[in-house]
Amino acid sequence: MIQPLRKMHFRIWSIFAVLLPLGIISGWLSVPSLPVGKLFHPDQTEPLPVVIKTIKTADYTVNLRSDASRGSYQLEWINITALKSPSALIYQIKANGGIENAEIIGRIDPRGSYRFSLRNDTTVSNSHFIVYDIIHHRVIEKINF
Amino acid sequence: MGVSYQAVGWNRQKKIYDWLIFAFCAVYLATFIGLTNVFNPEYTFETVLIRSTSTLAILLLHFILSIGPLTRINRKFLPLLYNRRHLGVTMFFVAAIHGSFGILQFHTLGNVNPFASLFTSNTNFSSLADFPFQALGFFALIIFFLMAITSHDFWLHNLGPRVWKTLHMFVYVAYFLVVMHVMLGVIQYETNPVFVVIMAIGSFTLISLHLIAGSKEVKKDKLISRMTENGFSKVCTIDDIEENRAKIFCLDKERIAVFKVGGKLFAISNVCKHQNGPLGEGKVIDGCITCPWHGYQYLPHNGQSPPPFKEKVSTYDVKVVNDEVWLNPNPYPEGTERPGAEIVASVKN
Repeated sequence: MIQPLRKMHFRIWSIFAVLLPLGIISGWLSVPSLPVGKLFHPDQTEPLPVVIKTIKTADYTVNLRSDASRGSYQLEWINITALKSPSALIYQIKANGGIENAEIIGRIDPRGSYRFSLRNDTTVSNSHFIVYDIIHHRVIEKINF
Repeated sequence: MGVSYQAVGWNRQKKIYDWLIFAFCAVYLATFIGLTNVFNPEYTFETVLIRSTSTLAILLLHFILSIGPLTRINRKFLPLLYNRRHLGVTMFFVAAIHGSFGILQFHTLGNVNPFASLFTSNTNFSSLADFPFQALGFFALIIFFLMAITSHDFWLHNLGPRVWKTLHMFVYVAYFLVVMHVMLGVIQYETNPVFVVIMAIGSFTLISLHLIAGSKEVKKDKLISRMTENGFSKVCTIDDIEENRAKIFCLDKERIAVFKVGGKLFAISNVCKHQNGPLGEGKVIDGCITCPWHGYQYLPHNGQSPPPFKEKVSTYDVKVVNDEVWLNPNPYPEGTERPGAEIVASVKN
């Protein structure tokens, strides 16, 4: 190796001796203390005030929300543990229906909380949903309120 | 290019080296995938592949970046340097699998071009926790790609050593991008501190090795002889140099290697024409000074590669007075023949 290159290597690693620990420490410090509650969608809508029904499992909580007049409805998905699929789509289906006639509601990632507006004609009785892994074409969960 | 042209000059050492790389990668991936199937059977194949290739690529990158300083600290590591480029190309392929499946899994679901999605799905550049870390990995992969496709000597000759070396120095930029890709990516999701500790140990090891090796080289460069006479500087005694080996001196701007071959001393530039390897750390094989990095050879008396090769390095005057070795740091044009210094005759005088 020629002398200018030797010097350049030495300078680069002298800078790295400061830069890499800084990068690693700042990356570590920026890890959210409550990653489960972290919101991944910055444009997410505010939660509607009334929780009509809730389904809780060890892995997630799903709330069916509405406003006071029951004029608009919202589906709230809160991941408690990480979803096993990298991302999944939520569909609204008819009772005992399948993916064929489903209506897409939105996408969820492995972690975080999500809220999706539902159709105005939504009622508790027609609130059936499936969480679908579109890569492997399989139903991950069925939600029936 | 003749009919006998071969893209890679395979020899036994290269084959063994490559088989070891292949075997290590295969065993690593098989072990990772096997253990994940046992402990996390719910993970999809794509997820396992993304994770296994990412950890393997990072492991290989750390290993590759540690080879250079290790060889400067201890010559026993020199065999690792011989085929480092194959290791680098392997690392690129592993990283490319990781990147491809990452894009496939996270960016092919929508109706946006996957590469456009990579750069537009997350634009939180002002947030560390939500930083678009995938773009960092993408740029690192581009650098590794450029390095991999230009790793062959064909590109070294056509681009020229200066451009080629500058391009390959971008590996350090790529390394920094990879570290931040991990720290702002998987570390933000996997709260287990083990991952942070592993990255910190890897970076700390590399920084330490490079700074130790670099300091050693700086010290060598500062060892300038103060005994000067008629343009010659006293550098050592003849017993300090082993037969068929060299001792390296830095009298001016660049290092000079003084070889002891068949009762004579010869001085040539320490810098190999191929990739600036340290000729003085090599040895004389079949009468030729052989670079320890990739085996390029030069004749001791004129610094020329034996025909049909055309590489040439500078030669220098060296003389022996009693048992002291005196070296003139003024270089002769590359390939200039010099008589060398007779050891026995000079001692008798």
